[in-house]
Amino acid sequence: MNKKMYFALALALVLAVGLAGCGTGGSDNGGGEGGYTIGLVVSTLNNPFFVDLRDGAQAKADELGASLIVLDSQDDAATELSNVEDLVNQGVDLIMINPTDSDAVGSAVAAANGAGIPVVTLDRSANSGEVVAHIASDNVAGGEMAGEFIVEQLGGAGMVVELEGIPGASAARERGEGFNAALEGTDLEVVARQTANFDRAEGLSVMENILQAQPEIDAVFAHNDEMALGALEAIKASGRDIMIVGFDATDDAVAAVEAGELAATVQQLPKDIGSIGVDTAIKVLNGETVDEYIPVALELVTQ
Amino acid sequence: MGKFSLKGRNWKQFLSDNKPVVVLLILIITMSFLSDRFLTWSNIITVLRQTSINAVIATGMTFAILIGGIDLSVGSVLAITGAIAASLVASGMNIILVIILTLLIGLVIGLLNGLLISKGRLQPFIATLGTMTLLRGLTLVYTQGRPISIFGSDTSAIFSKIGTGYFLGIPIPVYIMLVVFFISWYTLNHLKIGRYTYALGSNEEATMYSGIKTDNIKLFVYAVAGVLAALAGIIVTARLGSAQPTAGSGYELDAIAAVVIGGTSMAGGIGTIFGTAIGAIIIGILDNALNMLQVSSYYQDVAKGVVILIAVLLDRKQRKSR
Amino acid sequence: MEEKIVSMENIIKEFSGVRVLDNVNFNIYKGKIMALVGENGAGKSTLMKILTGVYLRTSGKVLFDGEPVDFNTTKESQDKGIAFIHQELNLVRDLSIGENIFLGREPVGPGGKIKWRKLFDDSREWLTKLGLDEDPRELVKNISVGKQQMIEIAKALSLDAQVIIMDEPTGALTMSETERLFEVVKELREAGHSIVYISHRLNEIFEICDHVTVLRDGTLVGEEPIEKLDEDRIIEMMVGRKLSEQYPRVDTEIGEVVLEVKGLTNRFVENVSFQLRKGEILGVAGLVGAGRTELARTIYGVYQPESGEILVNGSPVSIKSPKDALKNGIAYLSEDRKENGIVLGMDLVENVTLASLGNYVGKIGNIDKSKERESTDRYIKSMSIKAAGRNQLLQFLSGGNQQKVALAKNLDTNPGILLLDEPTRGVDVGAKKEIYELINKYKQEGMSILMVSSEIPEILGISDRVMIMHEGRVSGTIDIAEADQEKIMTYAVGKEVS
Repeated sequence: MNKKMYFALALALVLAVGLAGCGTGGSDNGGGEGGYTIGLVVSTLNNPFFVDLRDGAQAKADELGASLIVLDSQDDAATELSNVEDLVNQGVDLIMINPTDSDAVGSAVAAANGAGIPVVTLDRSANSGEVVAHIASDNVAGGEMAGEFIVEQLGGAGMVVELEGIPGASAARERGEGFNAALEGTDLEVVARQTANFDRAEGLSVMENILQAQPEIDAVFAHNDEMALGALEAIKASGRDIMIVGFDATDDAVAAVEAGELAATVQQLPKDIGSIGVDTAIKVLNGETVDEYIPVALELVTQ
Repeated sequence: MGKFSLKGRNWKQFLSDNKPVVVLLILIITMSFLSDRFLTWSNIITVLRQTSINAVIATGMTFAILIGGIDLSVGSVLAITGAIAASLVASGMNIILVIILTLLIGLVIGLLNGLLISKGRLQPFIATLGTMTLLRGLTLVYTQGRPISIFGSDTSAIFSKIGTGYFLGIPIPVYIMLVVFFISWYTLNHLKIGRYTYALGSNEEATMYSGIKTDNIKLFVYAVAGVLAALAGIIVTARLGSAQPTAGSGYELDAIAAVVIGGTSMAGGIGTIFGTAIGAIIIGILDNALNMLQVSSYYQDVAKGVVILIAVLLDRKQRKSR
Repeated sequence: MEEKIVSMENIIKEFSGVRVLDNVNFNIYKGKIMALVGENGAGKSTLMKILTGVYLRTSGKVLFDGEPVDFNTTKESQDKGIAFIHQELNLVRDLSIGENIFLGREPVGPGGKIKWRKLFDDSREWLTKLGLDEDPRELVKNISVGKQQMIEIAKALSLDAQVIIMDEPTGALTMSETERLFEVVKELREAGHSIVYISHRLNEIFEICDHVTVLRDGTLVGEEPIEKLDEDRIIEMMVGRKLSEQYPRVDTEIGEVVLEVKGLTNRFVENVSFQLRKGEILGVAGLVGAGRTELARTIYGVYQPESGEILVNGSPVSIKSPKDALKNGIAYLSEDRKENGIVLGMDLVENVTLASLGNYVGKIGNIDKSKERESTDRYIKSMSIKAAGRNQLLQFLSGGNQQKVALAKNLDTNPGILLLDEPTRGVDVGAKKEIYELINKYKQEGMSILMVSSEIPEILGISDRVMIMHEGRVSGTIDIAEADQEKIMTYAVGKEVS
């Protein structure tokens, strides 16, 4: 009786690993004939932006007949390194990395370099190692775009709140940099600058606190839409009239812009980053020369 | 013939006493059928190197869980010690000194945990939850939210060898892991303090009545967990060449999973370093295998959760039938 | 001829190859009380656990009402009407009496809502039947152990139990509670219930049981109607030899003062002073709560004294922890061995050397395991500890053998002064005598022994002097030549002896 249970559990174990493998691996494996196998290591797939990036890459890979292996680093540099090592062991032809951090990705790039596998970085760059191409939207330019929009809407003067992303994340740094550059020389004052870790729930609670503290606020710039939408809820609840600008143009945010709740959101084109990435990768593998930096356009979404 | 069957029996007995090994073997066999790249030398080395960080943390966690406690702060200890190590290396300090200083910081944090739990009479879960949050905050303050690169001094390259180097074709972190396993095993099985660790986890009162200062044992155990988390911090930082302020988040859970898969009882008193080693390797192989099989990351956690539950269930069945 | 409700035939049980029950037959008769006696480790609990489905038997048959049955879980045996009241009661202390009686079987209305009124009304009915006027809403932790025992019986009755197994039910009861329990047990017999009564107290068995089954070392010695037996005969059956004398007294030359306590005071004891000499056994008697255990534990450093002095061999010592006590040659055998005497999850070796591990340290700080094994084997032999081996976990030993291991742990610290707290609690007759003999041996070897005991015959049997405590104070000290039960009791209740 005990043995039966034991056997059943053992079988379940085999199935858990085996089925998970076959269930998702099957369709991708077919693409191998003649085509290239490209690895894509994404910083996180818990964020719609990077999901879009992956989807864009997948669509392009399917179109070009390449096989794409997608791995998730869960925002952890050590996991990212493990993922790259695993891809190296699988013998992929090229690895596209969307780094969790520009410094820490160095070891991962080195691991691929060591095995002679070319590396393309997406969205965030790598500070060390040999990278054949970097594809990204210009976050500084995006931040500046948002800042200029707010300056224009407020007529060059007012009280602004900046909701920052995860401290230390390059996107947070760069967007903030661009935004603050745009404000320089105007009469706009940043009355509160706090992090909400790119998170909607935190955006809500942080904004609630700021609303308590600051009697006068004219505009909010959030480093991403999740925080912007969180702030929107807080502002709606307070009944105050404050302009909000987000970043990323997620579906929710675009809908909010159309409904007039958000003033604007800076649209990156993550799908384009993914698909241009695959396009570039194939070119590299075919021996064509590519630019070291390939910028992807940004646009401001307004009503 | 007689000798042969005896051998077979010992083998069977070993497996039935060590269910985690069975799980490991099933994983390896299943995987070797599903991927021809799995059982290659380079992949085995990769898995072991990837495992080393969790294994070192999990070894410290084993001590804490053996006395019926827990240390949730290990991930944060890893982050802050990693950050400090990185800035010291970048400042050009002697590498040996950096290592000693970093481990000392881990020791002090561990002792702080131990003091909160023994003298402060706090629940281990609560005390280390507090230090976990506190240290994470201090890491952000210290790093200003930015990663700290180890590069910029003559010694940087040497330091990075701790994480990236090889000796006789085997990565340095793997040696570190093996040394940690051996010392911990020896401590638990051949030193007084190890015996007291088991006794404390089994029956704190009886241990105290036997003339043993239980508070000192607790200090020792959490100090071990702190030092090993700091050691893991050194390895991670050396591997990545930079210290991330967010490094190590969630690592405590992987460590606990490794310990529990290895057959250590959360109630304390029962468990081995061998079990934890197997547990850590199971988790390492799972991460690697699921990547090899190109399992979507969303399904990876599902599969991982199922395997953890099965491994623990197998072990429970075993215990009950004894 | 009596009708059998349960009959267990040729029961064999092995634990990993070790046979603990060998071909045992056991009967329970309808409307009768069957006593099940035997030394600890004789297999009584194992047999009952097989009957109630806790363990699976290796071979043999169990018949219930003539039908073969095969219980895999306690639930199945409960459903058939067999209730097992364990020695350590299985009540949830923080729930009410009523909730405990119906735990897991709460009457529920639509939507799963518990019908509290019905639950408490029904509970009250059962309590009344047992002559209790407790409020069923009272929390279990607020009532006495004797009443908790009754709650267990009420629970068994509410389960419509035909067979009730009681394991050492009077262990923690007072005289009057015991009498009340016996009345209830007799009433249950009148009402047609069958009872298995496990006890070491032979007088109780003669008072209420109809038949006696004796086990020894996992085998059946015999089943007899009570009329055919007397106390000596049962003891003989249990231990397999005639008991010449229950309390073997040895006289030694009593030497100089080894331990002196002067005016010891803390929140448990008040101004306690006494002397203990080399080769002397000082019995400490008194009622429960008189502060005897607390006195021993204060000397051992578990509790801190507020004032007073402890002198060992004439010089004052500071004892702040058990570690200090052991350093001064004072060891303490706890009254509650499972709580703080032994480590159930460790084996014999690890338990024996736990307090003296410093003596087993090898050259590089390692534990000298072969030395550990040697001394453990020595204790196993000299104390005749019954175990499958030195690596058996303590949880699998009988109470008497656990107690011997606890004693061995104390002795291994080479104490000059041994504080024994209820050294034979939960130990069977045969093992009791062995423990007395060991205590005498240590006394002859020159150890000074302080023995706290609630069993007055034991105190009278082996002490050289008796100190009686009442409400934290010493109310009297008597030389053994003048001591008798009456005098001790008089001091124990705080009266002066005229």
